Amino acid sequence: MALLRITAALVLVWAARLGAQATRASEVQVKAVFLFNFAQFVDWPPEAVPDSQAPLIIGILGGDPFGDFLDATVRGERRGARPFAVHRYQRVDDITRCDILFISRSAGDAPEEILARLKNRPILTVSDVDRFAERGGMIRFVTDRSRIRLQINPVAAEAAHLTISSKLLRVAEVITPTGR
Amino acid sequence: MADMKTVAAATAIVFTLGLVCFTPLGFAQQPESAVSADSLKKLSIEQLMNLQVTSVSKRPERLSQTASAIQVITQEDIQRSGAASLPEALRLATNLQVAQLDSRQWAISARGFNGTAANKLLVLIDGRTVYTPLFSGVFWDVQEVPLADIDRIEVISGPGATLWGANAVNGVINVITKDAKDTQGLLLSGGGGTEQHGFGTVRYGAALGPSVRARFYGRGFDRDATAFPGGQGAADDWYLGQGGFRMDWDASSGTRVTLQGDLYDGRIAQDSGGDIAVSGRNVMAKWSHTLSERSSLAAHLYYDRSHRDIPGVFGEDLDTYDVDVQHRARLGAGHDVVWGLGYRLINDRVVNSASLAFLPSHVAREWFTGFVQDEIALVPNRLQVAFGSKVEHNVYTGFEIQPSGRVNWTLSPSTTLWAAVSRAVRTPSRVDRELFAPAQPPYFLAGGPGFHSEEELAYELGYRHQQGSLALSVAAFYSRYHGLRSLEQVNPPNPVPLVIGNRQDGESFGAEATAEYWLTNRWRVRAGYTELRVHVWPNPGSTDMSRGATESQAPDRQFFLLSSVDLPAHLGLAAWFRAIDDINNQLVPAYAELNVTLTWHPTSKLDLSLVGQNLLHSQHREFGATASPTRRDIQRGVYGAVAWHF
Repeated sequence: MALLRITAALVLVWAARLGAQATRASEVQVKAVFLFNFAQFVDWPPEAVPDSQAPLIIGILGGDPFGDFLDATVRGERRGARPFAVHRYQRVDDITRCDILFISRSAGDAPEEILARLKNRPILTVSDVDRFAERGGMIRFVTDRSRIRLQINPVAAEAAHLTISSKLLRVAEVITPTGR
Repeated sequence: MADMKTVAAATAIVFTLGLVCFTPLGFAQQPESAVSADSLKKLSIEQLMNLQVTSVSKRPERLSQTASAIQVITQEDIQRSGAASLPEALRLATNLQVAQLDSRQWAISARGFNGTAANKLLVLIDGRTVYTPLFSGVFWDVQEVPLADIDRIEVISGPGATLWGANAVNGVINVITKDAKDTQGLLLSGGGGTEQHGFGTVRYGAALGPSVRARFYGRGFDRDATAFPGGQGAADDWYLGQGGFRMDWDASSGTRVTLQGDLYDGRIAQDSGGDIAVSGRNVMAKWSHTLSERSSLAAHLYYDRSHRDIPGVFGEDLDTYDVDVQHRARLGAGHDVVWGLGYRLINDRVVNSASLAFLPSHVAREWFTGFVQDEIALVPNRLQVAFGSKVEHNVYTGFEIQPSGRVNWTLSPSTTLWAAVSRAVRTPSRVDRELFAPAQPPYFLAGGPGFHSEEELAYELGYRHQQGSLALSVAAFYSRYHGLRSLEQVNPPNPVPLVIGNRQDGESFGAEATAEYWLTNRWRVRAGYTELRVHVWPNPGSTDMSRGATESQAPDRQFFLLSSVDLPAHLGLAAWFRAIDDINNQLVPAYAELNVTLTWHPTSKLDLSLVGQNLLHSQHREFGATASPTRRDIQRGVYGAVAWHF
């Protein structure tokens, strides 16, 4: 038994060392950093920016999967002169001004309704809900073989007068919903 | 006694590991502290996309599922477990009782009432019901879904009858395969070993048009026989070939069409008598359409044919036709209504033998179902309730009503409490009314002409917590059963003849817990534990002597731990330990087993794996009466596998 315990302890120390030199990050952390980065790759129409100092608001609709990680990510950061702020919303009606909106899975499995109510507002909509981009959302996170891919629907972004940088489009899978 | 030592040693390792993890040594780091926001922010978009991420199983989106005891088996879990078949992968859900009988037969159920002909579980593969109306159970040997094509398996224990329909008395298994979009390119895989003699798969996925993706696959396997308790080999080795396709078409932004189908053919050797022949095919069309922002419509249509010939005992040709329409609408403030209609026709032709007969041998039967459920957000995103009922019509008992009420209370974004009360019925199957043995009178066993539905009333309570690297869920339940199947002695105390009746009642209670935790960014642990008690008793006037032994054969408790670690040089190591208590009405002793999987991904295109299955004993038994001369033991096995992605 003593031998077993020693072996187990050794295995643990070894595993902990591996953990320390980790290359894996938690899925929600990486998604939070993506949300922050999107601000650098999207241009909003002038009417969406009340003034050059107005905070750039990242909103979360529904349950917050990020904990305080999104807040930590944007703390002290700016886009030009605009500081970042994180807002949390329970309902679509609560959304006053928002630049990037993450729609949580808990906000419902029919994003069509939420998107319809946001229609044409200059808000970058992001979610990991199934087929979000096909269903009229702008950016979907796809977790595939432990990596996060992006699906982007540029038509939806154009409809809201947002310009998504070609740098972002190049690394993403572009989704073009057919028909109407 | 050597066996006990190995069990003790393995248990010691598992628990030592567990204990050390929670000691102040504190080697285990949480991912939150291991990777800082600053270090991630320095990465480019491309680098972020190349980063390997750790994720906990996603919870399903619908309240009706989240307010129930659901466990999700992910593709990654299946890979890490080294499971070689669907039933083996189902062992990863501790809210199921899973036992292997021989090389091809499995007893699988939820909340007890397990047996080779378990009849209280509904199994769906992409929405296609795979149960046989013969005994309302599943022939597991022909449900060989290619494991690499599975996106996830949702396992709900407890009644799911309101939404899911007949047979969902004690649980629903929902196997969901990947979208064709996620299986593009060529995949070649194959391997072999001692118990898995050989297996191979070819899969090819391609775009057929701007918004049409498809995949085609072909696969085959050859599995070794099991062993008799004395160690000599049984002769139940078998092989199966299978092929199929799936096509997904995004016809417009709101319309989606899926076509899929499978074809299989296999032969299973027997100790005595000729080989069992199995074959079948199915084809399914699904269509979904968003009518407006507030409503959507979905429909499916499928045809399934299965053939089974057990020479000298039994043969069956079963055709199933099924059509289902579902409409979902958001009405007013906070009402989300789903309703649907379904129709199923079966055409079942049995070839009887001298020893047993289904009379009449050929039947065509219809089922009509309708259901409605309203999910009401009493306090948006905080408190939701759902009420609904299914109404089903079958030829045996006419109309059956299966209502349920569910409450989901979100305490915080990461914590949910839920409760449910449901009524479910297990409607008669052909076995209950139409089985006769032998085929000519005088019968030793006869179906009960008045056999009616078994009824269940279930109360459930659950807690779910999901935050960062931890996901935890616990469900407790209590169920009452009325009119359970009984074997009535016609002339007591003579043990035969017997007639099938409904004169037993029963209760079951217990709790199911499961947790998933990333100890470090490279080390994930998933564990599950279930306590279960089932009591069945005869009603006054019953002459049944079985005391439920024919209806429920399940262990009182089970535990599993799956630990997987990413090692340097693209290596991965996973250990999967399970401990199953004895099945006391079968004299099957408690056992513990261990699977170990070593994987190596030298490039993103190549996966190599080496799997050891049931390593702790050369052979062990999981199910079946000890006295039975046909009882088989499951043997230790090792196999290797290679997969190329092009």
